[in-house]
Amino acid sequence: MSLPPDTVGRRRAEQAATPSGAGGDGAARGRGPRRRRRRGASWRQRFDRTLLPPLLLAPALLIIFGLVGYPVLRTFWLSFHDAGLAAMVSGDMEFVGIDNYVTILTDAHYRRVFLVTAVFGLACVVGTMVLGIGVALLLNQPFKGRFVLGVLVLLPWAMPRVAAATIWRWMFHDQYGVVNWLFTTFGFSNFEGFAWFVSPLRAFTAIGVVVVWQSFPFVALSVLAALQSIPQDVVEAARLDGATATQRLRHITLPMIKPVLVVMVIISTIWNFKVFDQVFVMTEGGPARSTEVLSIATWREAFTRLDFGLASALAIAMFLILTVVTIVYVRVIRDDEELT
Amino acid sequence: MAAVPAAGTRPRTSLRRSRAKRRAGRVATYLVAAVVGLFSVFPLFWMVLTSIKPRAEIVTRDPVFWPSEFQWERYGDVLARGFTTYLGNSLFIATTVTVIGVLVAALAGYSLARFDLPLKRYLLLVVLATQMFPVVVLLIPFFAVMRQLDLLNSYTGLIITYMSFSIPLAIWILRGFFRGIPDELEDAALVDGCSRFGAMWRIVLPLAGPGIAACSIYVFIAAWNEFLFALTFTSSDDMRTLPVALQAFIGRDATDHGAIMAASTLFTLPVVSFFLFVHKRLTEGMVSGAVKG
Repeated sequence: MSLPPDTVGRRRAEQAATPSGAGGDGAARGRGPRRRRRRGASWRQRFDRTLLPPLLLAPALLIIFGLVGYPVLRTFWLSFHDAGLAAMVSGDMEFVGIDNYVTILTDAHYRRVFLVTAVFGLACVVGTMVLGIGVALLLNQPFKGRFVLGVLVLLPWAMPRVAAATIWRWMFHDQYGVVNWLFTTFGFSNFEGFAWFVSPLRAFTAIGVVVVWQSFPFVALSVLAALQSIPQDVVEAARLDGATATQRLRHITLPMIKPVLVVMVIISTIWNFKVFDQVFVMTEGGPARSTEVLSIATWREAFTRLDFGLASALAIAMFLILTVVTIVYVRVIRDDEELT
Repeated sequence: MAAVPAAGTRPRTSLRRSRAKRRAGRVATYLVAAVVGLFSVFPLFWMVLTSIKPRAEIVTRDPVFWPSEFQWERYGDVLARGFTTYLGNSLFIATTVTVIGVLVAALAGYSLARFDLPLKRYLLLVVLATQMFPVVVLLIPFFAVMRQLDLLNSYTGLIITYMSFSIPLAIWILRGFFRGIPDELEDAALVDGCSRFGAMWRIVLPLAGPGIAACSIYVFIAAWNEFLFALTFTSSDDMRTLPVALQAFIGRDATDHGAIMAASTLFTLPVVSFFLFVHKRLTEGMVSGAVKG
């Protein structure tokens, strides 16, 4: 398009302006008394109004629901069956009712998996949000090199997760890792040869750092966008009224970016509960399955132990947990923001 | 709302604050900025550096921050070990997913932005809910479906799988952009005799350029990064994508850190350079797309 499109459009709109005005929605206008020539146009108008919208939607809905719909139902069905490898191949699976769910809830290992997933997920969300908001506030300050920092901060997001987990695992190496070297250099001598992957707490700390490192840029960028849409005169007025920086943050900035914050909290909750790649590359759930989060446990049941029934039950459990989160999300969004 | 205030829009600091305090504040800002910058970029720097260090300088107790010589030949070795195939696979899959997925999402996003559809509100929520769906949940039945359709170990299987996961978010991003474009432009085109589809195709889509760019990057990175489905759906070596190949490579040569880092760098470089290239567009996209919702 060679001409500035908005001026062209406006000019045309003015030329075409009729007594009913140039603005307004096409559909609303068509119903009024101002009906145009009755030739072919009316057929086209009717097509545009009734058939076009669903036609435009159809491919997307077909791909989304056509592919995701059946697997969801199938997982649900499988979770009530004894679906080992032999049964899957022969296709005759025994209905076992809620046995798989009972196993999940009574098995000490799976109870641990749920607990670990929840605690680790929440810790990552907190870390991501704190760092993300902090960096957004920093980038919202005027200082030289702000643009450069903005670019640097994006890089972790662009890095593929498997590559990121790989380099971080090397950096956390007990003997030759640069992380231990850094700690010992700054005087923490107990980090000499510190083994990060021998206990679950240490391993989760290392994995958590990687997860947060990769997920804070998205939050920082979104929150920064929200910060920059706050009208400056409001903040300025509060400042002239004598509000301190902390007061301005608490009473003006944070409430105004709350909708974006809510969305970020929920999105990062969902992402962090689903964490797979980083754990898989860094520990594969070890040592002794102690860093198995829910997604790793599900994968192991299905693809190394080939118990698809139990894996499906785990998957449905995860789905239920995240559905609750989604419902909370929709509630909060509805209270807060228009969703039309 | 899309306009981003330029740097330095903060009002002049009041006279009440002393000069020393202001300087201390500025020093603190730069200090924090330096720490954040280092934290963000150091792992990437370390990865590239390790890939070109001589072997003896990789495995050291005290890290070597500048190698005595640069060894570039690891890149050639890694490429010779099948990484050109994996790179090709990943590029083909990610590009196809991006082109088709963004087109499909743009049509749907336009429909949801401009028309009053019955149940639109619920449709939007359901589309968003699929985005919330834990991917690992669907792995098993997807696997079964793909086996029945005989699409395991094929490009098609991975491509349609990735599309079904990236289209929902793409619809939401693009819908936000389309809503930001004034209706009057299309109305004018309609009055001039354009069909609704023509108005969308010739006027709205070109105007939503930045949004489409941002959305494309998002979809591309998601497909480029995907590991779990590619790991489970591909079985032959020549069908592997980069994340899977890298993971296997790490398993095989657990001690050859230089080679692993060279492979990781090759894997990261295309995305990072692409990212830097379109960085400005992306941030614009986030500003007007994500916040307006």
